[in-house]
Amino acid sequence: MDLGTIIWNTVALFLTLCIFSFLYKDNPFYKFAEHLVVGVSAGYFAIILYFNGFLPKVWEPVTQRGEWWYLLPTILGMMTWARFSKKWSWISRFAIAFYMGIAVGVAIPLEMQQRVIKQLHATMLPVHFTNIQGVWNLLIMLGVLCGLIYFFFSMGHKGVVGGAARLGIWILMIGFGAGFGLTVMGRISLLADRITEIHNWYLMVTKALWGF
Amino acid sequence: MNFYERLMNLDRRWVYLVVGIAVIIPVLNPFRVPVYVTQEVKAIYDCVESLEPGDILFLAIDYDPQAMAEVHPMAKAIMRQCFAKDVKLIISALSQNGPGMAEQLISELSKEFGKKSGIDYCYLGYKPYFSIVILGMGQNFRIPFPTDYYGVPLDSLPMMRGVQNYDDVKVVIDISSGNITDYWIIYGNGRYNVKLAVGVTGVMTANYYPYLASGQIFGLMGGLKGASEYEVLSKQGDRAIKMMSIQTTAHIVIILFIVAGNIGYFMSRKKKIK
Amino acid sequence: MSPIFFYLSFWFDFNRINVLVILGLFFAFVFYFINQAKKGKSLFVRRISGLDAIEEAVGRATEMGKPILYISGIEDMDNLQTVASMIILGNVTEMVARYDVPLLVPICRPFVVPVAEEAVKQGYIKAGKPDAYDKNNIRYISDEQFAYTAGVNGIMLRERPAANLMFGSFFAESLIMAETGFSTGAIQVAGTANIHQLPFFVVACDYTIIGEELFATSAYLSKEPKLLGSLKGSDLAKFLIMIILILGALLETFGITEFSSWFFVR
Repeated sequence: MDLGTIIWNTVALFLTLCIFSFLYKDNPFYKFAEHLVVGVSAGYFAIILYFNGFLPKVWEPVTQRGEWWYLLPTILGMMTWARFSKKWSWISRFAIAFYMGIAVGVAIPLEMQQRVIKQLHATMLPVHFTNIQGVWNLLIMLGVLCGLIYFFFSMGHKGVVGGAARLGIWILMIGFGAGFGLTVMGRISLLADRITEIHNWYLMVTKALWGF
Repeated sequence: MNFYERLMNLDRRWVYLVVGIAVIIPVLNPFRVPVYVTQEVKAIYDCVESLEPGDILFLAIDYDPQAMAEVHPMAKAIMRQCFAKDVKLIISALSQNGPGMAEQLISELSKEFGKKSGIDYCYLGYKPYFSIVILGMGQNFRIPFPTDYYGVPLDSLPMMRGVQNYDDVKVVIDISSGNITDYWIIYGNGRYNVKLAVGVTGVMTANYYPYLASGQIFGLMGGLKGASEYEVLSKQGDRAIKMMSIQTTAHIVIILFIVAGNIGYFMSRKKKIK
Repeated sequence: MSPIFFYLSFWFDFNRINVLVILGLFFAFVFYFINQAKKGKSLFVRRISGLDAIEEAVGRATEMGKPILYISGIEDMDNLQTVASMIILGNVTEMVARYDVPLLVPICRPFVVPVAEEAVKQGYIKAGKPDAYDKNNIRYISDEQFAYTAGVNGIMLRERPAANLMFGSFFAESLIMAETGFSTGAIQVAGTANIHQLPFFVVACDYTIIGEELFATSAYLSKEPKLLGSLKGSDLAKFLIMIILILGALLETFGITEFSSWFFVR
């Protein structure tokens, strides 16, 4: 284990403990780590964009391969910066309209297909009581219909509609509970990983210092 | 303030302390818990296991370092399984903070298995606007990625000769911690009928069961539990399996707190009504 | 296959006619109701309960003399939730301007900053207090998710707002922000269409606007014909989906699969 690894792991441990100190209360160590992550992420993203976006998609095609047509989307992209000028902000509308038009044209049919129609087809299930699957199918149908009624805004939640909407929100809450449970698992795994890394640092340092 | 109200209004720092202790104890005194494998994880394992040497699997490592704890073991286990079976890998990293982390993983495992870039795997790297990249790769990988992560043109890589787009890969497995998975389902599977399986963080898992039920994805690994199930099946690594003991103790503690809080709530309410 | 269909198939995917029909119907519903709204016809939309919670939050901030923190999510303007959030921001600003309560708006994406500035400025102008508009209260923090969260948490702990309003697209940072806000004792109202974040808002906030209610809120507040028309059109589409589901399930139960197979996308 070389000195560089020990130093960087120690820095990582220090920053982990700085962030954890927030659990007690806000303090300068937490503020330091917070500002550090804001600055580093901004710098990292700027470099990533430059080396993975600008250079291979604008600079190299135009200057090295003579593919001048890459300048057209570049100009469109630069037109969006006009947004920040009060006098010239109208220029950005062309670029945004072009981008929105393509995005919407590509996205809407696919979103309708994948999120609505395929789900609609998969939800048309036979309902029966001959086996447990039929009962599950009934529950799925009931859940979907009551959930849809809850999000129906053209009628007030009164009478039968109100009852169905109430059942809908209960089913939604059961779903949220399941999601919450899964999230607790996710957060615990992040904590467990950090604690494990702290333990590994301790083992690494004791081995480096005392050989065991 | 009576006992039940105190129970309900317990200072959160006590909760943090007890959960912290519940996590530290299994780290210092490790033990194993049995991991039961679910059908949705087994489907992914069976698919990868059915691939022949020389087949190509597209592995999308679309997560950031902050989600590494949950989903990194999944990516590692799948890559190890593929390298062990001589299945070729095309790897992308469409999350902006992920490329360096993915490269670290690939370097580590390729050294372990003696695999060479351009021959056994091709690491494409990162390009911004993942929805456009996913669409572009459906036409040709070279549209968003004219070169690999190391700057080598794809056409000069032996394994990429004759490999144009998703039609030339057997399966796409997306491991993600954000909404990139949605775009793989909408654009990858919707537009190009890609055979898709996903590995996601625990937070997102519940949202993808409808897609599993409708057949839009054929497999789903959810969080660290999903990673541990895959490790049990593939016998490649055991980091996630070891973490299951920590999960168990922490979950028991949290369940006890939830029960205590609810007892406090209902008993306080009963007292107020009286 | 006849030659005409063969050459047409290069331009038209006949396997996706069902997508075209359903999309066409949906567009027709939306266009119809937008036209009705533009003609001035009154379109009933039930009051969203979350609106009362927003008014209560603004009222509490006024009593305490502390600022209101408005968080518009972490996505860019191409996300509909951010668009809805900006509309709600404009209406919240009008409420806030009437009571002289400071409004802090930390932003995650640079593109959203000018839109937020415009929404807030218009809110103050509509309330008759253009001089109260302070551009410095709308701050760009960071593009990076957790860097933004760290910045917002810092603002919550330092400025101690009386109310936190969180409307937009959120991901893993939602619980961190909601918990920090809860620990400062602020009244919190949140709304998002990201289902996986709703459980955290439900447990940590005083009121949660769930999913499509966010868009309904923006339509209800703005009374904009396009938004109202879209909402009514999607309501009619939902009604049609319910009918199709019930019919499809009944027919499947009796072993008739032709109806449901029309919805299968090859």
